[in-house]
Amino acid sequence: MSEALLELNGLSKAFGAHQVLDGVSARIRPGEIVGLLGPNGSGKSTLLNAISGFLPPDAGRVTIAGTDITARPAHVVTRAGLARTFQLPNMPTRMTTREVLRAGDVAAGAPRHMLRRTGRDDRIDALLEMFRLAHVADLPASSLSGGQKKLLSVALALRGSPRLLCLDEPTAGVHPELRTEMVRILKQAAGEGTTLLVIEHDMLFIRQLCSRCIVLDRGHLIADCAPDELEHNGAVVEAYLGKAVQKGKTAR
Amino acid sequence: MSDFLIHVSAVACLYGILALALNLQMGLSGLVNFGLIALFGCGTYGAAFAHLWGWPPLAGLALGLVFAALLGLFFARLGDRMSEDYWGIATLSLAEIMRLVFTNEQGLAGGAQGVSGLPVTFAALPADTAALARLALYAALLVVAFVICQRIARSGFGLSLKLMREEPQLARALGYDLARSRRIVMVVSSLMAAVSGFLYAHYLTFVGPEQLMSHETFLIWSMVIIGGIANNWGVVAGAILMQFALAYVPFVKDWFDVPSDFVAATRLIIVGGGILAFLIWRPKGIFPERIGGSHV
Ligand SMILES: Nc1ncnc2c1ncn2[C@@H]1O[C@H](COP(=O)(O)OP(=O)(O)OP(=O)(O)O)[C@@H](O)[C@H]1O
Ligand SMILES: [Mg+2]
Repeated sequence: MSEALLELNGLSKAFGAHQVLDGVSARIRPGEIVGLLGPNGSGKSTLLNAISGFLPPDAGRVTIAGTDITARPAHVVTRAGLARTFQLPNMPTRMTTREVLRAGDVAAGAPRHMLRRTGRDDRIDALLEMFRLAHVADLPASSLSGGQKKLLSVALALRGSPRLLCLDEPTAGVHPELRTEMVRILKQAAGEGTTLLVIEHDMLFIRQLCSRCIVLDRGHLIADCAPDELEHNGAVVEAYLGKAVQKGKTAR
Repeated sequence: MSDFLIHVSAVACLYGILALALNLQMGLSGLVNFGLIALFGCGTYGAAFAHLWGWPPLAGLALGLVFAALLGLFFARLGDRMSEDYWGIATLSLAEIMRLVFTNEQGLAGGAQGVSGLPVTFAALPADTAALARLALYAALLVVAFVICQRIARSGFGLSLKLMREEPQLARALGYDLARSRRIVMVVSSLMAAVSGFLYAHYLTFVGPEQLMSHETFLIWSMVIIGGIANNWGVVAGAILMQFALAYVPFVKDWFDVPSDFVAATRLIIVGGGILAFLIWRPKGIFPERIGGSHV
């Protein structure tokens, strides 16, 4: 069996009496593009938070390339090679888009560069072009539209060429044409060695991008299959549509 | 009159350094510190202890810097454990505790009476020259502090501080260790505040707990808010402006022949009213932060 890049072992998280994650186990191999699906409130974002150090899990283990990162602080997880975006991509009001991208280079922001002025950076220009943000590069990042903020957050996450990139609904609010572009960019990143875990509700995007899907429902992993097989998976259909609807649909 | 101008300018320079220190914390990094005066107090009491123990003044500076770095680290440490608003309250409380300890412990640096008779800086020079030399020294140190703050603000590290200020979650996701950033900011700015305190002690030749009253912190806040939060030019301008405004209150009193209570009250009104008026009508201050200023 090939070595997993990301391995989750029995991850659990409860908020009070609400068990949001209940023993989630999964393996993602290097180079895979995995979709993480599930109805609203099924625990997808919580799972990502538990993996990326933003929310310590109650139980279970997370390893990246064999390194245990369970409940490690977020910056440690990031430096272990995991980059992530947020479902709500809030951006600062008193920094420009370009400055945010520049701040994305942790090495340049390291304390030993305290007195070094930031210079031009060709990689930033390339990212701005790639994500069609060049015309808003010098505007406050918070003034970007919702879709543009999504694009900026993906650009930021890609900036450090992470080993594992976890995206929380990267295309919500993004124009269809740019979505196709995003598929291309993410596939390119995968070709360059980045493994991807993508939370998405858009099935077309998932089909275009992912080789494999895992599905969460009320904190349990209920499916692990190819995107094409999802609609034939009873558990998945039931999770999304509920039993009654499924019967109604068969009757039609 | 000229002596008076020199005096006001000298004190304005020392406050300018404090305003830059607060701006590094609050303006650039979003660390809302209501206990800044305690860090200044590390400098004044460093000088006081050195004087009491018969150490040379420079040993007092070293002592003050060590006190300030430790207290700054402690402040930063507290910041790891609580949200921003509570941190502000905690810093205010700590500064008050420090003041109360120095007020009530008679055995500690003279208690409420404080310590007097510290040597004035450049005492060997003739009085006129010494006054000018002090002003020159303070102005030079203000420039040094300014350059350091400006360089930090325009560096990659400064960008990471701005990100921490506004979107700490994003900063963490990008791999920044916010606790470490806070520690660095607190130590650098605490050292600046302590230098200012040390010089102030050897300027007034007196150190006492009433110099640590919380309204001193709010005076520095008013300089930052009025001058322009996160604009180093602005906060220095704010310090000079406020210092001169306050210095001329007694003259106004004389012109209008009003009672002496007027002076203290008017100072409070200028500070409090200034903060309020600017927060309401011009929250970015006279010189607003330059957004995108890091790449020009
Ligand atoms: N900090 C929190 N405190 C309490 N409950 C929370 C918290 N975060 C998430 N939850 C709960 O956990 C459940 C799962 O939330 P989560 O955000 O992980 O869902 P999701 O699968 O990402 O949904 P969506 O598709 O709508 O983004 C929800 O019921 C939510 O109310
Ligand atoms: Mg979610």
